[in-house]
Amino acid sequence: MARSDARFGALMSAPALLIILVVVAFPLLYSLWMSLAEVNLLKTSGPALEFFGIRLPLFRFVGLENYIRVFTDPLYWSSLARTVYFVAAFVVEATLVGLSMALVLHQRFRGRPLMRAVLLIPWALSRVAVGILWQGLLDADFGALNGILHRLGLIDSYIGFFANGFSALNVLVSVYMWNQAPFATVLFLAGLQAIPEDLHASAAVDGAGFWRELWYVVLPALKPMIFLVVVLCTVNGFLMLDLTFVMTMGGPGDDTTSVAWLGYKTAFVFFKFGPGTAILYTLTVLCVLLTFVYQRIILAKFEAEA
Amino acid sequence: MSVAVRPAPLRVGGAQRLIHRVVLYGLVVALAGWVLGPFVWLFVTSVSYQRNLLARPFTLIPPEITTENYRMIFGLVRFHAEVQAARILPALLNSVIVAVAVTTLNLVIGSAAGYAYARCAFPLKRVSLYLILFTRMLPTIVLMPAFFLMLRSFGLQNTLTGLAIAYSSFTLPFTVWIMKSYFETIPRDLEGSGLVDGCTRLQVYRRIVLPMSGPGLVASGAFTFMLCWNEFVIAQVLNSKPTTTTLPPIIAGMMGQANIDYSVIAASGFLSALPAVLLAVVFQRYMVQGLTAGSVKG
Repeated sequence: MARSDARFGALMSAPALLIILVVVAFPLLYSLWMSLAEVNLLKTSGPALEFFGIRLPLFRFVGLENYIRVFTDPLYWSSLARTVYFVAAFVVEATLVGLSMALVLHQRFRGRPLMRAVLLIPWALSRVAVGILWQGLLDADFGALNGILHRLGLIDSYIGFFANGFSALNVLVSVYMWNQAPFATVLFLAGLQAIPEDLHASAAVDGAGFWRELWYVVLPALKPMIFLVVVLCTVNGFLMLDLTFVMTMGGPGDDTTSVAWLGYKTAFVFFKFGPGTAILYTLTVLCVLLTFVYQRIILAKFEAEA
Repeated sequence: MSVAVRPAPLRVGGAQRLIHRVVLYGLVVALAGWVLGPFVWLFVTSVSYQRNLLARPFTLIPPEITTENYRMIFGLVRFHAEVQAARILPALLNSVIVAVAVTTLNLVIGSAAGYAYARCAFPLKRVSLYLILFTRMLPTIVLMPAFFLMLRSFGLQNTLTGLAIAYSSFTLPFTVWIMKSYFETIPRDLEGSGLVDGCTRLQVYRRIVLPMSGPGLVASGAFTFMLCWNEFVIAQVLNSKPTTTTLPPIIAGMMGQANIDYSVIAASGFLSALPAVLLAVVFQRYMVQGLTAGSVKG
């Protein structure tokens, strides 16, 4: 029985694992190799991997040269600083807004099923659509938010939200938060539903108001979920790339250039694959560490409770 | 799980209760405005004339409504950027082909693997599971320089096949994970009785387990379709040719052009968003269940 179980399991998982090896593990190693090589896309003769008549150029091995170039570039460090700011602001905003929405949606009110259904709309939109949509709200010529503020007499002239670098970066944080917070809400709602009813009841008997109950009953019970949301948002924040592409292109200047955008630009705008993969690999290492945290601390915790 | 039958808390008196209700409904309206408002405005701009969007003072309710932006996209009216607009429908078809192909492949292969992880003990199970978890959190863009050269060597650059292969790299791990956590919620008893009746394990999986797994399959299928449908950067990088790329790069390309009115771009943005939005609203319950289970279970 045990042996047939092993054979059946291996057969069932083999196709998926094979595909993952070919489309994830191999490209990951190939990219790693490129980060250690001098990649000239026009000159692909020289050493190569050959199999079944297909030839993958290996280029010239240069050791850590690309990494040294990246680490001595001030733009890399300023991009890293911006990324850290972006991630921190995004995690705080997404957690707070996600939790607030969950607290509202956990109440009983008319139309709650409908609200829960439309909750996912911002999250289901492509980043291209999100970018278009927020341009419609924030544009300095026709943005609706500008229009409303102007109509209310709160501003004299339309604001250029993307004209100033720091403002553009913060707008990017908030727009990404708008897009991602619903997922945090979904996780928080699951966490809220798991809080035993008698905890609420005893809090009510004690005469605890909303804020006291939130602080002493709800938040402690949600702790693992909050931690999960923080880790997932941290990963998503570090990897965010498409919204930068659609909304700011890393500008004005380099003011919204994150590590992911710098890596993308180096690899696919300037076609410098060597330094580009080196930059992206620094992000990858970070994600390995975060996966470790996720697996060790969070999944282990939920597992223990289940 | 359901809290609908929970008795109303007794502590709240009449006046207090009214205040409570007013505050709650105020918050609900604010939440609806925050979640839906921007999306509704996208639709409003897509049926407006650009000149009315630029007009000051600004009006929330458009003075004129038009379908001209949509007619431009569908090639029914001639305008100066019709060359770019004419690319939208073929790109839409490409998006459908890639998303459907990847979703199908994922459901067949990913759920088989998910079942193996949920039920069997086999060599390298822990290690490979760890690899799959790691892949879920990997910056997909780091794979793209490698994919760029690989697809070029295979002659798959600028093809939908190449794009579908690349998309499997970030969707398949999710599918395996969601299906694994779904299968873990199905009681084992039924499978045991199937085995007693003389079915092989594969028959048990196909005849007993899969028919019970509708919610899990819907959750991972809808999620995969959505990921592919919305994906932008990979398509931009690997399929740079306008004829073989998907909708997001085409629309993003139009965004950067000063001679195309925002109202036209809003129409194409709304159109491109609609399938994924409908999917999320219709299958909301399944997606929420699947994704929650997939996030909190190891």
